[in-house]
Amino acid sequence: MPGFSPHRITWSVVQWTFALLVLVSARSVAQTGTITGTVTSESGQALAAAQVSVVGTSLGTRTGMDGRYTVVNVPVGQQRVRVQFIGHRPMDQAVTVTAGATVTSDFTMRTQALALDAVVVTGTGSAARNREVGNSISQIDMAKVQLPSSNIGQLLQGRTTGMTVMPSSAMAGSGSMIRLRGNVSVTMSNQPLIYVDGVRIRSDGYQRNVPPTGSDLRSGNDVASPLNDINPNDIERVEVIKGAAAATLYGTEAAAGVIQIFTKSGRTGRPQWSFSVDQGFVRSLPFGPDPLEAPPGDTIFSCTTRVNNACTGTMQAYRDSFPDRFDGLPTRGVSRAGGTSSYLFIDPWLRNGLRQRYSLSVGGGGENLRYFVSGAASDEEGVLPNDKEARQAVRGNFSFMPINNILFTFNTAYTKDNIANTAAGNNAHGLTLNAFRRDRNYASDDRPEVVEKMLNQEINSDITHLITGGSINYSPTTSFTNKFTVGYDLAQIENRNLRPFGFISAPSGIISSRRNAYENVTFDYVGSYVIPQLLGLRTTWSWGAQGVSAETRETSAYGENFPGPGKPTVTSAGTTLGFEERQRVVNGGFFGQGLFDKDNRYFLTLGFRVDGNSAFGENFGLQYYPKASFSWVASEESFWPEWNPEMKIRAAWGRSGRAPGAFDAVRTWEPVGWGGQPAFYPRNVGNPDLGPERTTEIELGFDGAFFGDKLTTQMTWYSRDVDQALFSARQIPSLGFLNSQQQNVGSMTSSGLEATVNYTVLRTSALEWQVGGSLFTTSDKVKSLGGAADFSIGNFGWIMKDESIPVIRTDFCVMNPEELGAAPEISTNPNDCVFGPNLPTKTYGINTNLLLPKGFNLIVRGEYQGGHYMYDGAAYNAITRGIRWPGCYNFYTLQETGRTAEIRPLDHARCTQAASRADYFIYPANFFKLREVSLNMPVPTRYFPGSSAASFTLSGHNIWRWLNDDFPVFDPETGNNGGFDSRVRSILEHVPPPASYTATFRIVF
Amino acid sequence: MSKLTISGLALLLATVSCDTTVTNPGPVQDEFLADRNAATAMVNGAGRAISSGLNWISYTGAAVAREIHPAGSTGSFGITARWQNGELNGDDADLNTHWEQAQRARWLAEETLRRLEEVGPPPVGSLQTPAQYANLLQLGYVYAGYANRLLGENMCEAVIDGSAALPNATFFTRAESLFTKALAVTGGTAATMATLNNAAYAGRASARVYLNKWTDAVADAGQVPIAFVYNMPYFNIGNDDQRNRIFWASGNSRESGSAYRAHTQWNTWYYTYRTATNDPRVPITVTTLEGDAAIECCGKVSFWPEAKHATSAAPIRLSSGREMRLIEAEAKLRSSDVTGALTSINQVRTHANTATITATDLTDAWRLLKRERGIELWLEARRLGDMRRWKEQNTPGALDPLELPGASSHLQTQDLCFPISRSEKETNPNLRGG
Repeated sequence: MPGFSPHRITWSVVQWTFALLVLVSARSVAQTGTITGTVTSESGQALAAAQVSVVGTSLGTRTGMDGRYTVVNVPVGQQRVRVQFIGHRPMDQAVTVTAGATVTSDFTMRTQALALDAVVVTGTGSAARNREVGNSISQIDMAKVQLPSSNIGQLLQGRTTGMTVMPSSAMAGSGSMIRLRGNVSVTMSNQPLIYVDGVRIRSDGYQRNVPPTGSDLRSGNDVASPLNDINPNDIERVEVIKGAAAATLYGTEAAAGVIQIFTKSGRTGRPQWSFSVDQGFVRSLPFGPDPLEAPPGDTIFSCTTRVNNACTGTMQAYRDSFPDRFDGLPTRGVSRAGGTSSYLFIDPWLRNGLRQRYSLSVGGGGENLRYFVSGAASDEEGVLPNDKEARQAVRGNFSFMPINNILFTFNTAYTKDNIANTAAGNNAHGLTLNAFRRDRNYASDDRPEVVEKMLNQEINSDITHLITGGSINYSPTTSFTNKFTVGYDLAQIENRNLRPFGFISAPSGIISSRRNAYENVTFDYVGSYVIPQLLGLRTTWSWGAQGVSAETRETSAYGENFPGPGKPTVTSAGTTLGFEERQRVVNGGFFGQGLFDKDNRYFLTLGFRVDGNSAFGENFGLQYYPKASFSWVASEESFWPEWNPEMKIRAAWGRSGRAPGAFDAVRTWEPVGWGGQPAFYPRNVGNPDLGPERTTEIELGFDGAFFGDKLTTQMTWYSRDVDQALFSARQIPSLGFLNSQQQNVGSMTSSGLEATVNYTVLRTSALEWQVGGSLFTTSDKVKSLGGAADFSIGNFGWIMKDESIPVIRTDFCVMNPEELGAAPEISTNPNDCVFGPNLPTKTYGINTNLLLPKGFNLIVRGEYQGGHYMYDGAAYNAITRGIRWPGCYNFYTLQETGRTAEIRPLDHARCTQAASRADYFIYPANFFKLREVSLNMPVPTRYFPGSSAASFTLSGHNIWRWLNDDFPVFDPETGNNGGFDSRVRSILEHVPPPASYTATFRIVF
Repeated sequence: MSKLTISGLALLLATVSCDTTVTNPGPVQDEFLADRNAATAMVNGAGRAISSGLNWISYTGAAVAREIHPAGSTGSFGITARWQNGELNGDDADLNTHWEQAQRARWLAEETLRRLEEVGPPPVGSLQTPAQYANLLQLGYVYAGYANRLLGENMCEAVIDGSAALPNATFFTRAESLFTKALAVTGGTAATMATLNNAAYAGRASARVYLNKWTDAVADAGQVPIAFVYNMPYFNIGNDDQRNRIFWASGNSRESGSAYRAHTQWNTWYYTYRTATNDPRVPITVTTLEGDAAIECCGKVSFWPEAKHATSAAPIRLSSGREMRLIEAEAKLRSSDVTGALTSINQVRTHANTATITATDLTDAWRLLKRERGIELWLEARRLGDMRRWKEQNTPGALDPLELPGASSHLQTQDLCFPISRSEKETNPNLRGG
């Protein structure tokens, strides 16, 4: 092994030392000058962080927030200055440097819509240029994001075609469901893998804050996301790869795609301080009908005297006793608490939740050491009374280059998040359920002084999240690179849930304390070697190996029956129980890849990945995933006419997988206990042949920029097949095992189209107006269940042959829903009762960006989602309990005024208590929301001495929406008890996600 | 090449060092249960499974048999609108749980017995003693017998281990056999055997009632003293699955943690009877509260919960000596021995500290016998089975109108048994399409 020869190492050190001395001494005697200038966009806007280099030297820097740069110690003579900036075409300019003088070279960068030479790294093995990549990679450049985001879920919403981001509720700390090109798995998680600076973090939600035993509904019934622990202000860019063709090199687990977040790093030069402050509030939009739509008889009254449940006294207008409470409210559609049907009667407890965030960072460094350090603190109230989230986050990113070919990076972030929630969801002890149901709630009383007792339940979650990782980049030559990364992600949550002594529904008190730790350890090695000429091709060979250990641990304690009032611990309780669960899944694999480059225009990539996983069955062995992709930069062919568009045509094919759960392959019994004695239940039938489901995807795409980059477009068509899909094969109950068994029996298919178009309508020196749109359509279906029976995955989501994944199906349905005046014709044939997919099949985005004089910038973005259906359990739960439900106001009015000929049979079936079934509460869930309206205004720096840039932004998020007429209450982005981890989205007793309004001030020194 | 070698080594090191073999704690692998010392936990599991099946069936069955009256909740711990109407329909997926829990109890008890029989008595030097083994074996047979009886009394048809649909009597035949095997076990500790023998005799007697083996049933019943009670326990230890479901569904204002007032005795025959007689076997608490929601028939109704299951840890009887006397009484009525039957019934009533009764004729005696079984076995998952067999056999003696569909009760219909579950029909290849 000559590379390890001690003689060579000694020689190398001597050589480098000598070279360094020569360089230093040479610099000290050379004649040098300075180059300075400003880098702006075509619209005249300063471009910060543009890369400036002096060609042929190692000299360079980045522009500041004002777009200015300065390079010192430039050797005299003719030099070429090169400026590169993401999204812009690289520019070179010649300058003549004279000794001791400063020469100015300003740049006006032209947009390079396709960014063909921008570097991406996600799913590409080693770093690759966009032009080389055959699959679509979406990038979110945070420099272009104007909307302040309180969390990553909000940040990602509506920004990338093919990515669906759905919140779950108005609860503080609520996470968001993320789907890339829809569902790829029926039984396993569909959240994409998340990497932060190469470190894998947990994608799925934290443990819901609910006691480990007893009812699993005594909670706020929402789930926080570890992804939201990342401070959005720390992010430089996000790369998203959406399917198996792109994610092959991530192997098992990557079928749902990969999101990689890159955080900021320091820039060479003096320290740059950034400070931002956000102030704003969240506010619920109405999610029920106007009170005036209530039937005339829906007035509030009370009975002064009751005998055997019969009212024998005088009916007295209740509202007359509380004139202040009902001031300005109509006489109907109102609850005793002063709530209205517009908010399902919870409005007395809704508030404008105030929100404030502060963020400070500093970055800088020299040639060899760079740093970026940040801190952020936020304090955000929710719209519900107990909802509050206080988060603090710190980050330190450091890079160190001791010698030219070795770079150490070390990034660490620590977040502390305290979330308090209001008892909500389908929780009999919760505020929302009991407010929605009014006097037929679990207290049989809708007086505010009774309902608000539900607020005495304390639901607090303390999250601590450490993401740390280091990597070594070793590049012995420019053509040979190695990168070794070690990452550690420790996300912990302590859930404390207290119903104190004297609580309305648990007078003796109940407490639980639950600690969950999620630990991911990542080892990642990637090497690459470029052979400039091999059979006439430039080839890049990449290889690597990854190991990821994902461990979850839970210890929890439960207690009930406190001796008296006071602040209890679990120990205070008369009855205490303890629980522990832990599991670990290890995945290890390696990959190889070759990239063949012909004329910098044709690129062919071939690769493979091999994986082993601890959750595979003992008979299974390893899984192999191949890939191939092709990219053609067609616009660089010589045959194009003068107008010279930019175009890239691409194709990719590849496979990746999804592993089964930790225990799925093994035949097991569950220790369940019985009255304090040991006991076993049969748990899992087991399957030693169990392996991952395999997703194969092909995508064809086209990226183009036309008419001087005024029109840009990206289109991608994809087709995906999942074979060996893990389906929950229901077991025969009379054979004792009631849990379903995972089997590699299914096959599924999916295809879709993603397209974005942006057009610059107007571009002058003072004004620029861009409009754009995006389209994402998808269609999926189950091809085969492998002989297994159709099965439900909850909330009327079913897995059925030739239907969507999942399809909403009921056991009963109304066959003549619109036949006015007719009696409902009920079908009990499930084949009649198939509605459609649960996830949107059509997502359309629109946006416009108006760059105004003096740097004002107005951005408006909207998103439509449609083609999907969801179950509204809250409505059914209320109606079946005899509650006058606002969603039935029209029915009640028609029925009570004798206009039965106008009643829709579907409304009749839903709203008649005795006949009502949950099956009838399936709704089309299409909607449009105004995701962003933001106006950014530069603030003159003269007001802030020493500053280089300042801005003020006013923004609104989800401030307007349109709902389908057939969707009477709530909002399709309302969730159920499972939060964003729910496999089938449905609605339970939650307040929908609110609108937010924020004012942001940013300043840079 | 040297650099490639380094990289190759690094790749190899990374891959080899990644051991993907993991054994996670928690769930127990099947092969570990071959250890005879795990048998106790398996038998306990069978017991818990029966308690769970009994919990679901006794509550829903009580709603349909009108042992309770719905008072609101239809979801968690509630009574669905269909059950409120008296409907137990094969297309009702909400009934999957009842079938599944009861079938798991049967399968688990029988699987436990298979394993116990396979390992046989412990050899000398084992941690498990021969007496412990015998006790477990006998308890396993008793549990398996009661699991089959629970299914037999409440399910319309039988399915055994994925079989095709079989006559409901299949469960009773198996129960009879299992109780017989329980009685054949020897070597257990004396006190345990005494209890389990009584339980086995009582269980076999009740199974034989359904098999119309009245002579054998009476013979078994005669082995059981009137004071004997064999209970299925429930526990208030923070786990709703182990709580007495009938209590918990109406536990609001009675026990901390339950939100529900899902059923009441308002407008039931039992309330009328209790008011008239003060029979301690039918305790009812009258409150000023209302149910936790409104029901279609009656709006909001008064919350007068049963108090037989007075806490969430209240046991449910599987058998008793008093039930045996009622078996004897019914056997006598089948021989038209009214006097003898009333003697047996009054033995029960005397033992229960309530007034004795008389009958005017054979039909009236049947009416009283049916009423007495309702009182004695109230809220124990027995009423539906009784009503079904009496209806099938067209026995004399009317039930109270409040127990039946009609003008007096809210019942629209009254299905007297639980169907084979939808989940069984959809997964069992011998039933698909059936």
